[in-house]
Amino acid sequence: MSNFITGLIVVVATYMIYLIAKRIHQKIGVSFTAPVIISTIIIIPILMVFGIPYETYMIGGDWINELLGPAVVALAYPLYQQKDILKRFITPILAGTIIGAIVGISTGILLAKFAGFEEEIIYSLTPKSVTTPVSMAIADMIGGVTTLAAVFVMIAGIGGVLFSSIIFKLFRIHHYAGKSVGIGSASHAIGTSKALESGLLEGSISTIAMVVSAVVVSVITPGLVGFLL
Amino acid sequence: MINIFKIIIHIAFLYVIYLIGNCIQATLQLVVPGSVIGMIILFILLWTNIIKVKWVETGAKFMVQNLALFFIPATVGIMNYFDLFAGKGILLVLIVLLSTFLVMGSAGLTSQRIMLRREREHE
Repeated sequence: MSNFITGLIVVVATYMIYLIAKRIHQKIGVSFTAPVIISTIIIIPILMVFGIPYETYMIGGDWINELLGPAVVALAYPLYQQKDILKRFITPILAGTIIGAIVGISTGILLAKFAGFEEEIIYSLTPKSVTTPVSMAIADMIGGVTTLAAVFVMIAGIGGVLFSSIIFKLFRIHHYAGKSVGIGSASHAIGTSKALESGLLEGSISTIAMVVSAVVVSVITPGLVGFLL
Repeated sequence: MINIFKIIIHIAFLYVIYLIGNCIQATLQLVVPGSVIGMIILFILLWTNIIKVKWVETGAKFMVQNLALFFIPATVGIMNYFDLFAGKGILLVLIVLLSTFLVMGSAGLTSQRIMLRREREHE
């Protein structure tokens, strides 16, 4: 089969599976059923049963990957949409995401280094707090594995949302802005949809925090990595 | 049908901005990913009204709402890394969780402190 046809089948099949996964997620609606997780759980066994190596899947997968770049660019749109709230909350959001970024990058690196993991794995988990496409781009830039980066982002998203109320109690965070910035900068889009459950303003603040933190983390990661490793 | 057409045109437009971001990254030898540079460029162009929102809106909305679709191929790649998560890898999950909790706590506390101070000053 020519590569073009293989690629085309992969793209169409992935999109259809994604649509099914999205429908399932809308019905159940917990963070564990995020469409990307359900899609992955459907696709991997299919590849295994038919003995299709990941490399063959990636003939089409690379076409989809190619769209990660413009998808990151597209994040400017929700940020622009929220520009009035951005102006109102710029100081707390910027301060919160910068502190969060420094804490997240350095604790990630130091804990993994202390546990004795290789550099490639440490680089892959360093940008875990930001939205997946940005995290993959950062991991790629500093020498990590993009697939691992995507998985760590997922763990940060789901774990953060599951434990958010305990964290807020532990750190005595009761202000709506504190909660929204916290969950947006630690658990990206999964956190943002959780914040949206509390209200539109909460959703907006955490969306801004998610995008701003993606920029902050990509700016400071290379420097901090050089300093800590 | 017109909508699909619009989405494709808008994504092509976003792709051009992404390429410009890559170009800037390569030329200036920056360590920030080209896509993030592209995002900052688009935000500035939207803010200054050089680009009208309706030129990118439909495509950008589609991409943001379906962001997960674009990284499915990456997460499927986990099938090549199953053994990593079998043994010591469980430690990686704990490290990511602990670090995530600290991010949430420190970021949240910082912004809360600023908000509370601001609210006190306004009273």
